[in-house]
Amino acid sequence: MKMICTNCGYVYDPAEGDPMGGVEAGVAFEALPEGWVCPLCYAGPAAFDAYG
Amino acid sequence: MRPSLSSLYQAVELRSAIPPLLIGERTNANGSKLFRERLLADDFAGCLQIGLEQEANGAQVLDLCAAYAGRDELRDMCELVSRFARSVKIPLMIDSTTPEVIEACLKLYPGRCVVNSVNLEDGGRTARRVFGLIRKYGAAVVALTIGEQGMAMTAEDKVALARRLHGLAVDTCGLRPSDLLFDALTFTVGAGDETLRSAAVQTLRAIREIKASLPGVGTVLGLSNISFGLAPASRRILNSVFLHEAVEAGLDAAIVDAGKIVPLARISEREREVCLDLLYDRGGEGEGPGPLPRFIEYFKGAAPAAQEAVAGAGAGRFEGAERAVSRQVVEGVREGLEDNLAILVRRLAPLAVINQILVPAMRQVGELFGRGELLLPFVLQSAEVMKRAVAWLEPLLSREEASQRTRVLLATVQGDVHDIGKNLVEIIFSNNGYEVVNIGIKVPAETIIAKARECGADVIGLSGLLVKSALIMRENLAQFREAGLRQPVLLGGAALTPRFVAESCVPSYDAPVVYCADAFAGLAALRAHEAGSLTSTVWRAAAQATAVRPSARGGEVQRGVPVPEPPFYGCRHVTEIDVAEVLPYVNIEALFRGRWGYRRAKLSAEEYEALLEGTVRPLYRELSRRAVEEGLVQPRVAYGYYRCYSAGDALCVVDGGKEYRFPFPRQAAAPHLCIADYFRSEAEGGDVAGFFVVTTGEALDREAHALYGADRYRDYLMTHGFGVEVTDALAEYWHARMRRELGIAGSEPADLNGYVTQGYQGSRFGFGYPACPELEAHRPVFELLRPERIGVTLSETLQMVPEQTTSAIVAHHPQAKYFAV
Repeated sequence: MKMICTNCGYVYDPAEGDPMGGVEAGVAFEALPEGWVCPLCYAGPAAFDAYG
Repeated sequence: MRPSLSSLYQAVELRSAIPPLLIGERTNANGSKLFRERLLADDFAGCLQIGLEQEANGAQVLDLCAAYAGRDELRDMCELVSRFARSVKIPLMIDSTTPEVIEACLKLYPGRCVVNSVNLEDGGRTARRVFGLIRKYGAAVVALTIGEQGMAMTAEDKVALARRLHGLAVDTCGLRPSDLLFDALTFTVGAGDETLRSAAVQTLRAIREIKASLPGVGTVLGLSNISFGLAPASRRILNSVFLHEAVEAGLDAAIVDAGKIVPLARISEREREVCLDLLYDRGGEGEGPGPLPRFIEYFKGAAPAAQEAVAGAGAGRFEGAERAVSRQVVEGVREGLEDNLAILVRRLAPLAVINQILVPAMRQVGELFGRGELLLPFVLQSAEVMKRAVAWLEPLLSREEASQRTRVLLATVQGDVHDIGKNLVEIIFSNNGYEVVNIGIKVPAETIIAKARECGADVIGLSGLLVKSALIMRENLAQFREAGLRQPVLLGGAALTPRFVAESCVPSYDAPVVYCADAFAGLAALRAHEAGSLTSTVWRAAAQATAVRPSARGGEVQRGVPVPEPPFYGCRHVTEIDVAEVLPYVNIEALFRGRWGYRRAKLSAEEYEALLEGTVRPLYRELSRRAVEEGLVQPRVAYGYYRCYSAGDALCVVDGGKEYRFPFPRQAAAPHLCIADYFRSEAEGGDVAGFFVVTTGEALDREAHALYGADRYRDYLMTHGFGVEVTDALAEYWHARMRRELGIAGSEPADLNGYVTQGYQGSRFGFGYPACPELEAHRPVFELLRPERIGVTLSETLQMVPEQTTSAIVAHHPQAKYFAV
């Protein structure tokens, strides 16, 4: 499932991963590495909300 | 499967395990004056509110009727049904006799509803048509015992009509008996009409007979007709007693004002006798007054239970005021609150009402929030109800009781003007039974120490949004230790992390120092403190990997990027800005989900869409309208372009023969980014930098503070959040304009998401934000831009006033993007 950052609106799409954060495509949001933050505003995973 | 009705949200069995099924009657243009007035004023939201109140008061199904002379019933019902379907959790009863209206509603409604009603007035022509629709859309239907001669008065006539309707529905139109609900209609026993003295008896007999002779069908009754013409307080008692008798006779569902049903246990034996005499027409044979005069006489003295029944409006169905008040807090419903409290304080001490009912209810609110089942705006509505309840009870508390509560001192630290976070914490703490002393923003450590001693604070809470505020908190703690304070300190704010608190703050103080992610984490800390189990935040470095920092885009910063030619050098001030042009830049997702807290959380995509469409978007539209039409937003901009060159980690800006130095921090870890790198050095030929200060004025701030002062917590959050995001939108809008003026707007984003991901050339870096946390830069920025001319000033702690103001340096370098040091 896609997840959106409630602080800035960045959308994490598992199909794309987060290249800037070194996360490959195919990684589910729940499986992101410990300490991962929003690549745009640095908010933590708790700031993310189900998108779509 | 048992016959049921359903809404988008839930199913309700027609044969309730504890009959009767309660059908709310107040959303009826003919039955409720308030509903009618709102309908006539096209106030559909207000109509919906009445429905939501019925639901909160215990209705399990909602009767919805908009048939009113001079109105377009089709249009009104379609509008109402779509709104109700989204927002009301209980199923609807479509109250109309017009087949066109019925069909339109059945098409619209996303569940199984029941239609009210058909009859045999025209010999069955319309009934046949409606039964067809019922079958087509799989609904249920109420059939009234009305024939060609009008409403049947005797049990025999009522039953005969029911049989005819049953035959038409089941044998001719193919409905199932369980799709039918028969309403045996009752006349009043309160008008003194001799022919109606047995009205209740006839109806009760008909209910018994219909249930016995037509297996599988249900029965329903509009309850309040029985008491027409009697005094309101006595009506509630009579209605309640009659309801009990009808259920005994086999009634499955009743159309009532759910909040006005009085539990039988609360009706005295004597009252019940008087009512039963009237209903069964007993004791009128001999000398003396008949049952009706005796009834009127008895209730003239306003019997206690009748009084209580009046006060108990909103008390819910067969449940005590305890449950009702608890539900009102959890669901954020204010109506009837004081009445319920008045009942409660006759049984419980005011302090017990707070501790045994209100506080546990708020605790439940906190738990629901923690599980993601209740969103922040609804938490604030609950807090509003709590606040009202406590305010009502407070004068009844003894001084001693009032002073027993744990006292918390709250402050936003020195140099930080942000108060929304602290104020939300105050709302949650104070409405969970804690005494809060809120000493405001920009509070120096000395003042906090003095106030903590003065008010005898048990716990101190520090708040701050700015990156720098985290460091201030650490310094404060050292000063607290020096001063000999021993109270636990709770820390909260956007720039804090549990790691920073554990590693940098905890060692600076001798009592517990606790990181609180939100107000409810703070609440948990207060409870731990009271239980003697509060401990400092710990950070287990081994267990948690270091934060992953996003890497730079494109690696090494390219040199020799062409320098754009600005349209002018120096500063300009713009006050003629069309708000309507700015609004499209508002980051809607960040506003709805972030600032306002309307997250999807555990809702399905459909439920979330319903929440957005029913509540959130209308709110945004209204604020936007007021922003444009009422001048709630007054956009003003000071901006300029300047020659500059980088020198190591600093940027030197040249204006009017004077040089202004902006030192920027550099990332300690790879890729070691620094804002200065995006500009050419003197040797590289120098560069151009843009700056802006934008404000949306003070009106929104003023309104937000007034709302906070008036305990309208939800609206406070909404107004404040709107201000923050509109100000950010103005920055976005103006940044786009500056890109155009610089001639670098070749690749502008196609949609809002493109702005979120900075899909344009260059970047803007806000002062006080992660790439340049120091506010010191505001001094040269103000010398360059003179924002005083647009009404923006600098506080002694270098923050801009009004609050809804933001500043930035604009870099044109294609690799310049947000980062954090």
